[in-house]
Amino acid sequence: MTAQPIQSRADSHLLDRQAESAVGSGGSASCSALAARVQGATRTYGVGAATVVALDDVTVGFVSGEFTAIMGPSGSGKSTLMHCMTGLDTLTSGQAFIGETDLASLSDRELTVLRRDRLGFVFQAFNLLPTLTAEENITLPADLAGRTVHRGWFHTIVSTLGLQERLTHRPAQLSGGQQQRTAVARALVSRPEVVFADEPTGALDSKASAELLRFLRSVVDDLGQTVVVVTHDPAAAAYADRVVFLVDGAVVEELADPTRDSVLETMKRLGS
Amino acid sequence: MLRVSLRNVLANKLRLVLTIAAVTVGVAFVSGTFVLSDTMTRAFDQLYSGLTAGTDVVVRGQSAYSTDVTTQEQPPPLDEDLVEVVAQVPGVAAAQGGVTGFALILDKDGVPIQPGGAPTLGASVGGDDQLAGGFTFREGQAPAGLGEIAIDAGSAAEAGYQVGDTVDVVLQDSRSSFTLVGIVGFGDTDSLAGATLAGFDLPTAQQLLGKVGLVDEIEVRADDGVTAQALRADVGAVLPTGAEALTGQQVADEGSAAVRDAMSVFSQVLLVFAGVSVLVGSFVIWNTFSVLVAQRRREVALLRAVGATRRQVLTGIMVEAGVIGLVSAGVGLGTGVGLAVGIRSLLKLIGIEVPATSTTIEPRTIVAALLVGVVITMAAALVPAWAASRVAPMEALRDVVPTAGDIRPARQIAGWVLLAAGLAGLVGCALAGGQLAWTGVATLTAFAGLVTAGPSLARGTARLADHGRRGNGWRMAARNIARSSRRSAATALALTIGLAVVCAVAVTASSMKASVADSVTGGNRSDFALRPAGAGSGVSPAAADLVRGLDEVDTVVELRYTGAQVGGQNATVVGVDPSGLDDVVDLGPMDGSLAAFTPGTMMLRAETAEALGARVGNPVQITFPETGVQTVTLAGTFANDTLLESNYLITLADFQDNVTSRLDGAVLLTVRDGVAPAVAERSLSQALAEYPNVTISDPAELTADAQASVDQMLGLVTALLLLAVVVAVLGIVNTLVLSVVERTRALGLMRAVGATRRQVRTLVRRESVLMSLLGAVTGIGLGTVSGIALSRALVDEGVTRLAVPSGTLAAYLAVAALVGVLAAIGPARRASRVDVLRAVTTE
Repeated sequence: MTAQPIQSRADSHLLDRQAESAVGSGGSASCSALAARVQGATRTYGVGAATVVALDDVTVGFVSGEFTAIMGPSGSGKSTLMHCMTGLDTLTSGQAFIGETDLASLSDRELTVLRRDRLGFVFQAFNLLPTLTAEENITLPADLAGRTVHRGWFHTIVSTLGLQERLTHRPAQLSGGQQQRTAVARALVSRPEVVFADEPTGALDSKASAELLRFLRSVVDDLGQTVVVVTHDPAAAAYADRVVFLVDGAVVEELADPTRDSVLETMKRLGS
Repeated sequence: MLRVSLRNVLANKLRLVLTIAAVTVGVAFVSGTFVLSDTMTRAFDQLYSGLTAGTDVVVRGQSAYSTDVTTQEQPPPLDEDLVEVVAQVPGVAAAQGGVTGFALILDKDGVPIQPGGAPTLGASVGGDDQLAGGFTFREGQAPAGLGEIAIDAGSAAEAGYQVGDTVDVVLQDSRSSFTLVGIVGFGDTDSLAGATLAGFDLPTAQQLLGKVGLVDEIEVRADDGVTAQALRADVGAVLPTGAEALTGQQVADEGSAAVRDAMSVFSQVLLVFAGVSVLVGSFVIWNTFSVLVAQRRREVALLRAVGATRRQVLTGIMVEAGVIGLVSAGVGLGTGVGLAVGIRSLLKLIGIEVPATSTTIEPRTIVAALLVGVVITMAAALVPAWAASRVAPMEALRDVVPTAGDIRPARQIAGWVLLAAGLAGLVGCALAGGQLAWTGVATLTAFAGLVTAGPSLARGTARLADHGRRGNGWRMAARNIARSSRRSAATALALTIGLAVVCAVAVTASSMKASVADSVTGGNRSDFALRPAGAGSGVSPAAADLVRGLDEVDTVVELRYTGAQVGGQNATVVGVDPSGLDDVVDLGPMDGSLAAFTPGTMMLRAETAEALGARVGNPVQITFPETGVQTVTLAGTFANDTLLESNYLITLADFQDNVTSRLDGAVLLTVRDGVAPAVAERSLSQALAEYPNVTISDPAELTADAQASVDQMLGLVTALLLLAVVVAVLGIVNTLVLSVVERTRALGLMRAVGATRRQVRTLVRRESVLMSLLGAVTGIGLGTVSGIALSRALVDEGVTRLAVPSGTLAAYLAVAALVGVLAAIGPARRASRVDVLRAVTTE
C-alpha cells in the first residue's frame, strides 16, 4: 500500500489545537518542537525488598512530526514509559509533558480529557468495544466528547486504511489486521498531537504488520503526525525516523534513520 | 456513550430476558394490585351512586358510634310513623320507608344461594319509582302481599328461576315459600356487590324481617326546585333524637369511603407481597450488574483509556440499568393488568365476590410501575456502576482479568456480629413472647448480617463441599464458589429472602393450626355445633327452637354476635344464655363466678379485664351501635380460649335489649346421656331439613374446618410468596449463564486437557446446587427462627401453641436442591458446548 496524499491540513477545521505544536506541512522532521517528553522519569513498583525499578531517571523527548520507535527487551520498561507519558500510569518521581502540559498537575478528569482530545492510542490487542461497529469504534472518542467527526477526514482515513467495506461490521467479524487498522483509524480521526502505539503489530502476521506500519509512516510523512511506537520487532522499528533503546529502565542508545540491520546490530550489542 | 449503553443492553439477549423478568414480577405485582383495587373501588362507586340516584335525602337511625362496613352493623330502626311526619315537611315530593334484614334464597334443589363474603339481604322493594334509583324491575313487577317475592337477577340466573316459579326463602324466624313476581337489576349489574336480595312489599318485609311497625330508613324525594341540602335541613328539623337526615350524595360517599378503606387494607396486604418480590428482584439486579461490571472491566478500562470520564462510565451503566428498568416496567405493567384479572378470579375462588366493571388504569398505577421498575433497577445497579467508574484505564492493557478483591475483615466481623445479634434478638423475642415489633427488628438485623457476612458464608459452604476425590466435580465447584464468593452469596441471598418469608409464614400458620385445635377441643364440652353454611351471616333462632324440642338433645345454647365498643376499643361481643353455658364450654373461670353472670353483668377474658383495668364487681361500659352506652357489672373472668371465640360475654337477655338482629352466630348443644352420637346426628339433620343453611358439626369436624381455613390462607399466601422464590431462581440461572460466559476460556481449557462434556456439565450443576443450598439453608434457618419468634409474638392474638412443620421445611430444602439442578440445565449445556479451539485462542 502506497502512501496516498492525505487531505491537506489547511482544509481541516479540527486543527486549532494542533497549530500550537508548530509542525510544518509536508512531513518535515526537521522541526525541533517536542510533542511529548519526560524528565528524570522514575517509576518503581512495590515497597521494601520487593521494590522493582521499572524506569530509572529517564529523560527523553519525542519530536513533533517524527516517527519514533521505543525498543528494548522484555521488562526493559518500554511499556511503563509509554503508560507514564500518556497519564495511564503515574511517575514515582520526575515529570512528564504532553506539549507544555505537565501531567502531574492534572486531575483524573483532566487527564481523561487530555487522552480523549490530544492523544491517540493503539494497543496490542483488545482495542475495540465488541458491541460497537467498526465505524462506531472509530468515532468513539469524538462521541465521548460530544463532538462530531469531520466527515471528509473520516472518509479519507477509512479509505486509506481500506476499511470502507467493513464499517458496519462488529470487531468479531474483522480479521486481526482489520481490527488493528480500525484502532489506528480511531487514534487518527481526532487528529491528536501524538499517537501512541503499544506493540501494534504484536498479534499480526508479517503482511498485515507491514501494511499497518507503512500507513503509520505515511501519516507522519504526509501530515506531520507525531507517532510513538513501542515494539520489540526490528522490522517494525525500521519504519521509524529514530529508535530509542531502553535496557533495565534506562535509555542506553538512540539510533537515527534506522534500518532493520542497524537495529538488529544495536540490539545484539546491547544484549551481550 | 448512550449508544454503548444501548448496545450493551442488547448484547446478550438471554441475560436481558432474565434480568427483565426479575424486575417484571415485582412491577406486575405492584401494578396489578393497584389496577385491581382501582377497578373494584370504581365498581363500588358506580354502584353506590346508582343506588341513591333518585333519592335526595335519607333519614335513618343514628349509630352510637360510626361503624365500619366490615362489621355490617345496622343503625337502630325508626318508628314507621316518622314516614308520615317526614312526608308532611314542605318541599318533600315523596317519602317512603324501607327495611332490610336477613333472607336466604334457596335454589330449586333447596340448596342455599350463599355468596362468599357478601350478605344475603331481605328488603322492602317497590313503591315510588323515582326513589328506586338504579334499582329496576327487569322482568315482572313489584311484589304485593304476603305470598309474593322479587329477587335479584344474579340469584335468578344462578338458580334458573323465572317469573311465576315458587321460591323458598329461609328467614330469621321461619322458612317460607313465595311466588316469584319480579326480577330486579341494579343498573347494569345483576347483584349488589355480590349480595343476594329477596324483595317484598313493605308490610310483608316488616313482618318477615322482624321489624313490624319499624323502618330502617326513609328515602325522600324533593319537590322541583328544592335542593337536597335545603331539604335535608328542613327534614332534620322535624326528626326526634336518635334519627338523622343525610343527602343521597352523603350516603353514596359514605359507602364509597367505607369501600375505599377496606380496599386500602386489602391493597396494603398485596403490596407487602409485592415488596418481597421487589426486594428479591433488586438482589438479582444488583448481582447481575456486579457480574457484568466484573466481566467488562477491560472494556471499561479501554473506554477510560480513549477518553471516557468516570462520570461517563457511571452514567453509561446507569442508563443501561434505566433502559432495563423501563422495559421491565412496561412489561410489568402489562402483566400486572393481566394479573389483576387473575387475582380477581383467585378472590372469587376463596369466596370474595367482586362486582364487574371495565379495568381501571389510573395514572398513579403507571407512575408506580415506572418508579418501581426504573428506580429499583437503577438503585440496585448504583453500587456496581460506581465500582465500574473506579476501574483504572491501565487495566485495558493488562492481559489478566482481575478477580474481585478480597473481603475486608472488618466487613466480615460486622456481618457476623449483626447476624449473631439478630439471632439472639429472635431467641429473646421467642422467649419473651408478645414482641411483634422487636421480632421484625431482629429479623431485619439478622438478614443484614447475612448480607454483610454473605461472602464468608459462601466460603464456608465451599469449604464444606471441598472434599472427596480429586477431579470430583464437588471440589472444583467448591473452589469456583469460593473464588467468586461475593457473587455466589448475592445469588443465594435472593433465594434466602424468598424462603425466609415462606418459612416464617409456614411456622406461624402451623402454630395457628395447633392453637385452633386447642381452642376447639380444649374448653369444649358440647357434642355438636350448628353453624351457618359457607360464609352465611347466621342461623335462624327457629333452628335452635327446633332442636331444643328433640328428645336426644339435652342442653342448647345460642350464641349471638355484635360489634360494639368496650373501653373505647372495637370488640366482638357475644350474647349467651348463662344457664347451660357451663355444659357446653369450660371457660376456665378465674375470678368471680359463673353463677354471678346474670342480666346486667358481663364476663371478660382475664387478659382483657387486665388490659381494661377492670376488676370483678367494677362497672364496665359497653357502647352498642343501636342503643349507645350501657353499663354492666363485671361478674367474673375466664382463662380458656373456647368456641365462643370472644373475650366479651353478655347475657342473651341484655343482647336482645340492645341488638335488633336475632340471628344466631352458632348454636352449641349436648346430647342426652346414653344417646349414640350417630343417632343424635341423624335426628338433628332430620329436624333441620327445612334449614339447609345450617351445618351440623362435631368437635372433630369443627377442628378440621378451622384448620382447613388456616390451610387455605396459608396456601394463598405461599402461592403469592412463591413468585418471589421464582424471581430468585431466575437470579440463579442468570448468574450461572453469566459465569459460564465469563469462564469460556477456563472451561475450554478444561475441555482441551481432557474434561468430558459431562464433567463440565456436572461442574456447573454442582455450583448451582451449592448456591441453592446456601440460600435454602440460610433462608429456611432464618425463616424458622423468625417464624417461631413471630408465633410467640402473636400469643395475645390466640396463637397459644408453637408448632414447627419440620416435614414442610425439609421438603423446601429438598426442592431447593432440585431447583439448583434445574436452574443449571441451560447454563450447563452452554458450558459443555464451548468451542475448545476458540476458547483457548480467543482474546
